[in-house]
Amino acid sequence: MASLSYIEAINRTLHEEMARDATTFLIGEDIGIYGGVFKATRGLLQEFGPERVIDSPISESLIAGMTVGAAMVGCRPLPEIQFADFISPAFDQIVQQLARFRWRTNGTYSMPVTIRTPYGGGVGGGVFHSQSNEAWFMNVPGLVMVAPSTVRDAAGLLRAAIRSEDPVLYWEHKKLYRSIKDELPEDEEFVTAIGEAHVAREGRDVTAISFGYTHHLAMTAAERLAEDGIEVEVIDLRTLLPLDTPTIKESVAKTGKAVIVHEAPKIGGIGGEIAAVLVVGSLVLACLAVAVVGTVAWPVDGSRGGGEGGQLVQGSRRLRGGIALTFLAVAALAVPLRRRDTFDVLN
Amino acid sequence: MTEETNRRRRGKEEAPPAADTEATLAEEAPESAQEGEYETEDVAAAPAEGSKGDFLSEQRRRESLAIDVTRDFPDKYRLSGAMEGCSDEQKLELFERLVKLRLFDARMRKLFRQGRFEGTYYSQIGQEACDAVLTYQMKRDDFVGPSHRDLGAAVGKGVPLKFLTAQVYNRVDSPDGGRYTACHYWHPDYGVMQPATSIMMNWIAATGAAFGYKMLGKDNVAAAFGGDGATAHGDFHEGCNFAGVHRLPIVYVIQNNLWAESLPLHLTSALENLSDRAKAFGFPGVSIDGNDVLAVWNATRAALERARSGEGPTLIEMKTYRWFGHSDIDPADYRSDDEVEAWMAKDPLPRFSAWLEDEGLLDDETLGGVVERVEEEIETAVDFAESSAKPGAETFLSEVYAESYPGFDVRAGR
Ligand SMILES: Cc1ncc(C[n+]2csc(CCOP(=O)(O)OP(=O)(O)O)c2C)c(N)n1
Ligand SMILES: [Mg+2]
Repeated sequence: MASLSYIEAINRTLHEEMARDATTFLIGEDIGIYGGVFKATRGLLQEFGPERVIDSPISESLIAGMTVGAAMVGCRPLPEIQFADFISPAFDQIVQQLARFRWRTNGTYSMPVTIRTPYGGGVGGGVFHSQSNEAWFMNVPGLVMVAPSTVRDAAGLLRAAIRSEDPVLYWEHKKLYRSIKDELPEDEEFVTAIGEAHVAREGRDVTAISFGYTHHLAMTAAERLAEDGIEVEVIDLRTLLPLDTPTIKESVAKTGKAVIVHEAPKIGGIGGEIAAVLVVGSLVLACLAVAVVGTVAWPVDGSRGGGEGGQLVQGSRRLRGGIALTFLAVAALAVPLRRRDTFDVLN
Repeated sequence: MTEETNRRRRGKEEAPPAADTEATLAEEAPESAQEGEYETEDVAAAPAEGSKGDFLSEQRRRESLAIDVTRDFPDKYRLSGAMEGCSDEQKLELFERLVKLRLFDARMRKLFRQGRFEGTYYSQIGQEACDAVLTYQMKRDDFVGPSHRDLGAAVGKGVPLKFLTAQVYNRVDSPDGGRYTACHYWHPDYGVMQPATSIMMNWIAATGAAFGYKMLGKDNVAAAFGGDGATAHGDFHEGCNFAGVHRLPIVYVIQNNLWAESLPLHLTSALENLSDRAKAFGFPGVSIDGNDVLAVWNATRAALERARSGEGPTLIEMKTYRWFGHSDIDPADYRSDDEVEAWMAKDPLPRFSAWLEDEGLLDDETLGGVVERVEEEIETAVDFAESSAKPGAETFLSEVYAESYPGFDVRAGR
């Protein structure tokens, strides 16, 4: 079977799922005629026609909110928000309406809606095309969020999301679109179960927890540390909400140390949430070392801005790769460890 | 006043409103029992010290006028014309729905003052000719996207009152098992969507339903409701614009009651007719007297036909007025008494009942029957809600997700 890139896996899965289920439709900006700004939806207009592939006006609230009524009358909507940075006009519809509709109606209606959105830095996108803003949605029970880091999961999680009865926010990393390739399983129906993290590498000394692009940084760091005899267990979260806390806890119970790595600023971020899961209310895990590696508290977490900002960002990018390494090393070697909820790596 | 009022064939003096109307709607508990409530719960909204008695007696006066659905009104507001395509039976059935709407609303206001249910109550009294007249004409499986002041959307579509009282009381027999919000009337079996409290979410959702019908090749249509204030919201524009582009089968209704909570119309929009907004979306907009059942029937009928035949959306502005506060904790003292009185004179119900009388369709006996049936349904519905259990907090833990996830534990908080 031929190798596919991450974005090709997304595109293929959309083709397959739309062919399989005539109630699905795509709606988003520049997704039809243009095939998407990244070409994730290439060929879908030609295959499924303008009735099911809707080039929408620049109306993010509509894109997200119309899916509620469409789902109520029997559709399985697949909206796309062109860049995660532009999801804020749709925030209201996602958070207040989609995520709560099932609860509000006492289970009368579920919302089988999958919202795809490209996020993340490293592609020179600037302030409004680089954010890793998934943490904005962490405080929303009723919503599901997945963020594949591999080609297989890009397909497997997308298929699972589309077939799920819950509203899923599917974060696709821009830097991974064309930078990784893999073969998909022979079984065309394969899914990656939502809600389950993946232990991508086993180790006994320290647990590295990440997702998306930074998962690959964690894997690289683990390989380098292995040369020094430090065995890092690497968890790829895959699902951000609800977090697979059993897998995370189990791993950290074994290693006693955790480093959480993400692109977003640390403040109010997923790292802090996982640190809380690990430390709060757990006697067994009370002697942990938990570190969060994220961006400084600046309003962009992409890798390139302009001028001085750009240098700052680039500096941070270099730092970031290094930080994961340094931290994994520090966390692994620091014995005995003083209890700390988080290390603030950049202070 | 006497010269300008239209003395009815069956004038007030000769035949006062059916005695049992008043009796049934009279307070079951002395209002003094809950007068204190205005002091405790409505600190911000309470009328100035000393005016409370006046305020309550004024509320009662308006309510007793409201339940008199055949009272006199100025001749200039007399209806004329026809209801196109409406059979005599339908005219009477529609009239009964409107009476139901009015008497139910008045009854709920009293129950709220008596502290029989929590939260607040959004009275629609004065606006009965608007949404109910449209939804009455829709098919049961057509989609209705109501907002917070759309009791009529549900009553028009035929949702039995017991589900509405259960909603008001937040009891287990409401369609959401008592977990949602009072006055947010809905029912899945009648195609009435559960309104979101956030303004215009229903507008966008109804637009999506219309899209879904079109995409799935169904011949259903959707209707969305909003107020004058709501037309300033971005979602109004995003929804209408999309529906215009795709010629969706939808009827958009704006009930312009001149106020958005405390905001007067001129601070919402510089337009005189809100239907002019439709020009920006490339489909027709009409402004009509929203207290004229005939005008509303004819305009909504045409709009529904347009939608059903694939010609696309219509925006209908219905000019109307709410007699009471934004909700029942709002004394609405930002409005002048003259304005309220002027609109009460345009009460849609007496205007419609007089027209029915002129048409020879309504007489005392028929009216008596209507009122009797309606009151009986209201009383049964109130009993139903009051004897329906309050949901236990435990029951609220379910239905956060449809699927199960290994890391999710609703009690653990994550
Ligand atoms: C998005 C949003 N903003 C504000 C509110 C608070 N609010 C509820 S109703 C209302 C006024 C609505 O006025 P209008 O649209 O004219 O409807 P009416 O109440 O007159 O029927 C406001 C400000 C809300 N519910 N949702
Ligand atoms: Mg209004």
